[in-house]
Amino acid sequence: MDSPAPKRTMTLNLTDAEMRALEELSSRKDLSKTAVLRQALRLYQTLDARIEKGDKLILENDQTLEKAELMLL
Amino acid sequence: MTADSSTIFLLDPVTDEPIEAELVSEIASNNIIDWHTKWQPALGALKATLQRLGVPRDQWPQSAHWDWSRKVEEVEGLLAFRNFSVIAEGLTQGLMRLDLTKSARLAVQLGKPIVYVDYVEVAPWNQPFGGLPARYRGVGSALIIAAVNLSMEEDFKGRIGLHSLPQSEGFYRHLNMADLGPDRRCQGLHYFEMTPDAAKALLEKE
Repeated sequence: MDSPAPKRTMTLNLTDAEMRALEELSSRKDLSKTAVLRQALRLYQTLDARIEKGDKLILENDQTLEKAELMLL
Repeated sequence: MTADSSTIFLLDPVTDEPIEAELVSEIASNNIIDWHTKWQPALGALKATLQRLGVPRDQWPQSAHWDWSRKVEEVEGLLAFRNFSVIAEGLTQGLMRLDLTKSARLAVQLGKPIVYVDYVEVAPWNQPFGGLPARYRGVGSALIIAAVNLSMEEDFKGRIGLHSLPQSEGFYRHLNMADLGPDRRCQGLHYFEMTPDAAKALLEKE
């Protein structure tokens, strides 16, 4: 591609606990902190769009096949 | 989102001459019009030829039923999905839809984010079925390389994954993707994944 899409900068204020969670995810997922937040935004937008359309978010345990509905508020 | 484009080169399979083409980071209305007005009639003609040549149906194009207008419409405006197209000589030569929300399954990269290739298809005249020659070579590779490049840009280190149609498995093995075998949750299609090392080797080769 000629050039990646232009990006805009913002300041993000996080609590210590939020920053720790971000750092932990960044390390576990092998992503920069910015990339973690971009992933989070993609997922949140996708889930919100599906729920707006009337879909339910169901989580299933691969081993026990137990299912639970997750409420997205 | 504004679409980016870059120049790539396909190959004429007869002369091995490079053909200039454009890789675009979107599937636009002109691509969907090509799919309706050029791909569909060509697909009909290809099926008629394969029937006439007595080619068994399991060797016909397995993506023939895909509806690209629907595939684009259902992800419109969602950041999690990215579309790409390849254009040469004024015609759409290949289309691809990517999902950026999936995680790796291969033990060495388990749980790490990947670019998942939801759908990738080349125009019917570029599919060498039943011994018929393809018009351009390299469309599928160009699209998979675009997926790897996007994975790099997104800090996913080149990791990509996909479920392959049976007739495309050889292509993905040739790209050095790991075959994790049939996935019962995806119609028994084989699941393939690329590691950062394989991605790097692929990009260096190009």
